[in-house]
Amino acid sequence: MYSQIRVYYPYISPFDPCPPIRVKTYQVNPQLFIGFQPENLPQFTPMEALRRGVLWPALYSPYSGRGDQEGLEG
Amino acid sequence: MATANQPGDKRFYELLEKLQAVDFVLVELNLYLDTHPTDVNAINQFNQQTEQRWAIAQEFESLYGPLLNFGHSYSGYPWQWNNVPWPWQV
Repeated sequence: MYSQIRVYYPYISPFDPCPPIRVKTYQVNPQLFIGFQPENLPQFTPMEALRRGVLWPALYSPYSGRGDQEGLEG
Repeated sequence: MATANQPGDKRFYELLEKLQAVDFVLVELNLYLDTHPTDVNAINQFNQQTEQRWAIAQEFESLYGPLLNFGHSYSGYPWQWNNVPWPWQV
């Protein structure tokens, strides 16, 4: 499985007055790679679905804070 | 008014959480079925969940009073609709 958080390294100007952010991240969501949702995908239990905000694990997109701040997570 | 079940007790929150979970599954299945109208399994699941939702709501309302007003739920005596807790107090 691919990582849902991707990374790029922006150009850093030598004249940038601010401390540079060398690594930036962005999120790609699972529905982008599924196309049309197949039938009979496995499901979370109702309680779990309520907590995660989605019924199908295949469409679950975790969020653990902004990835560009401390230790990158995949 | 010495009933065993007071609004806000443990059972109150258990039932509401169950109801919320089933309602969420129903929302998901509803949206899914809008684009997959021929998925028989999903329709069966939707109908089962609907039945379960109805049973949970029934139990909740029999213990704590109506969930909906304007004729969509029954009330006991005395009139229960304006009882505390209000939705934002739950």
